Amino acid sequence: MGLTGYLLLAAALFSLGVFGVVTRRNAIGVLASVELMANAVNLNLVAFSRHHAGPTGQVFALFSIALTVAEVVVGLALVLLLFRAKGDVRIELASELKD
Amino acid sequence: MNLLFGLSPFLAVGVGALLLMLAEAFGKPNVAPGVETTDAGAGRAGELALGAAVILVIGAVLSVAVWVAGPESLPELTQVAPHLVIDKFTLFFSFTLCVGGALAALLAGGYLPEHGIDRSEFFPLLLLSTVGAMALSAAGDLLTLFVALETMSLGVYSLIGLRRGSPRAAEAALKYFLLGSFAAAIMLFGLALLYGATGHTDLAGIGAAVRSIGSPGSTVSAGKILISLVLVLVGLAFKVSAVPFHQWTPDAYEGAPTPAATYMAVAVKSAAFAVLLRVLLVGFGDERLASWGAGWPPALAVLAVLSMTVANLVAGRQESVKRMLAYSSIAHAGYALVGVVAAMRSPEAVSAVAFYLLAYTVSTAGAFGALILCGSRGAEAVSYEDLAGVGKRHPAAALAFSLFLFSLAGLPPTAGFFGKLYVFRTAIDSGLYTLAILGLVNSVIGAYYYLRVMVYLYMREPAPGAPRAVTMRSGFVATALVAAAIFVLLLGMAPGFTLDMASGAALTAR
Amino acid sequence: MTPGGYFFGVCAVVAVLGALATISARNPIRGAMGLLATIVGIAGMYVQLSAQFLAAIQLIVYAGAVVVLFVFVIMLLGPDAHGADGGKRPGSWARWIAAPLVSVLLLGGAVLLARVSTPQRFRAAPPGHGTIEAVGGDVFGRALVPFELSTALLIVAAVGAIAIARSRATKPSERPASVGATRRLFGGAIHPRDARTVDDEVAR
Repeated sequence: MGLTGYLLLAAALFSLGVFGVVTRRNAIGVLASVELMANAVNLNLVAFSRHHAGPTGQVFALFSIALTVAEVVVGLALVLLLFRAKGDVRIELASELKD
Repeated sequence: MNLLFGLSPFLAVGVGALLLMLAEAFGKPNVAPGVETTDAGAGRAGELALGAAVILVIGAVLSVAVWVAGPESLPELTQVAPHLVIDKFTLFFSFTLCVGGALAALLAGGYLPEHGIDRSEFFPLLLLSTVGAMALSAAGDLLTLFVALETMSLGVYSLIGLRRGSPRAAEAALKYFLLGSFAAAIMLFGLALLYGATGHTDLAGIGAAVRSIGSPGSTVSAGKILISLVLVLVGLAFKVSAVPFHQWTPDAYEGAPTPAATYMAVAVKSAAFAVLLRVLLVGFGDERLASWGAGWPPALAVLAVLSMTVANLVAGRQESVKRMLAYSSIAHAGYALVGVVAAMRSPEAVSAVAFYLLAYTVSTAGAFGALILCGSRGAEAVSYEDLAGVGKRHPAAALAFSLFLFSLAGLPPTAGFFGKLYVFRTAIDSGLYTLAILGLVNSVIGAYYYLRVMVYLYMREPAPGAPRAVTMRSGFVATALVAAAIFVLLLGMAPGFTLDMASGAALTAR
Repeated sequence: MTPGGYFFGVCAVVAVLGALATISARNPIRGAMGLLATIVGIAGMYVQLSAQFLAAIQLIVYAGAVVVLFVFVIMLLGPDAHGADGGKRPGSWARWIAAPLVSVLLLGGAVLLARVSTPQRFRAAPPGHGTIEAVGGDVFGRALVPFELSTALLIVAAVGAIAIARSRATKPSERPASVGATRRLFGGAIHPRDARTVDDEVAR
């Protein structure tokens, strides 16, 4: 397999993630979709690392994995916060909050 | 040794954050008798705020010290390059960031106990987030850039999540987080493509690879570079909250504790502009990309015009002063973007933007601080009506508020006036007449809603029988306001010195 | 088709199906399992890209930590973690137009990009590519500064998450004994329902 296959697959996963972020109204679902996007990018990075035959892309992906985990921890804490305050985990990303 | 000295602003803030955490964990709770708590940090917001402010001031002083010593005379600093590029550009921004952080910490020292958000975690988070912001302004490599961006952002997400109980605030915090990580993922995609297209992660190497496009033997694909440019711009436009990536801003500012909103408005924006300038000028500095016909300047110009116009039009219709200040921060992002566009032609524009952001930092922090002073005991001053009559009840707060609003509106003799003057002048020097004129028109529109606050402060009386917020007295907030006022007046009356420093910053950004 | 091609195909199908489940499942647990499938599929591709170390990290960190964290929170929230994705609201048609548009645009851009990008086949991987030695040498050598910076990131995440998820602390003796483990863990009611019972007990 060549680079193109991996790039296309990563782009497909990334698009699916974007789709999920835009359509989902469940905060946990949105967070999972963001994870999907991050995973797609990591696949890109590793494929590019193989293409350039150097470790840089893999190191980048390693950092990206660590960052995503940190992000998920804070994000789920915020989900809990919302749940305690409101009683559900619904979120409207596309609109401003109204009084 | 020289290496340590060169990195001292970063180390001071980072180590200070850890010390503050230890102090918070092992210090004795200092609460009034009768209040029972297991929280070791309860009641100690004052001490921790003072500690955090002192650490950040040390960071600012060290930035100046390294500046005076001259980063170019410290050859050891190349050891950390390109991950951290310690040049005058970085040092100017790290000074701005430390000042903004210190003002936010002082405001928090007064605000948190007054509003029952006695969360001592606030200060370590603030400091660590500032470390991220400083590293972001120094980032010369995609790896550092992304790690620093996330460090700063995660700190801010946590800060605004500290107010609990209000569904609106929690929803705003979560929304900001989700949109922020969405934007970060989009930007990461752009960074990955950039690495894939060029094989480099350092901005200088990327810049060289981009320049080689079209020359024989170059394997760099122009399509990938363009797509990654768009994706990176989207991510950073979100961070500086430029229209149309601004939707989260008013909600997040309104829901956040006011000092956290202050920090978001000043530090996050300044750091994002620093990295925007460096990425565009070093990574995408190729003449073909940095020209009016193609590349990033027209895209940024559209963002700038949209940000100024939309924010100014919407800000005037807000009923909440905090939301008005949020839209004002969006409008200021637009003015600063005018400077970034001008940076494609004149290196002076970089210094104009740097100066502008310093002026904006002290004015905005001051305005938020004055707003804090106008409310107390769990009741924030929210609407314009809450401000009615403050000029009589609390003349000092009203005077300070007016000064900072003058500066935000860009009236002389304040810092904001010279900030706008330099940005628009460099725009005219670069031949961007339309952009400069649109900026001027918008400044005039913007003055309307700043002056409206002053009308309420001085010329309106609270409606009879309306609940009247007791104005707050706090040494911390007062100190922050005095410090910010000194900066505003100093930059407004004698801008030469700071501008010389800023113009030193410009030359090394390339 | 080569065996490598088949392997890629299997991993790709698993990853895409998992992604579809993640973004469409009404039940959040199914969504988390979909994410798990995607992660495993991508880990398989890492192996094929001779990034063995990252494949292991991917499984340990993503499957072992992230997905478990998701499942943990979904379990904490109970049945209220569901829903929200169902009911139609005014204005929701806009997203159903916008979302496919964005996705198709992205995918179309990627396809165009794939057409123009020149190299189709990987060169032979250099010896040691993707081993712990190669990655570790880079992390602790060239990338030392971001590595150090990531400590600040992890501290921020840990402190921030604790600060957000913990509610106002009370003395242990004041806590009713009947409150479950979740409350003891986070020092506050997870569910509004629990908060009510706690207040009732205090009132009693």
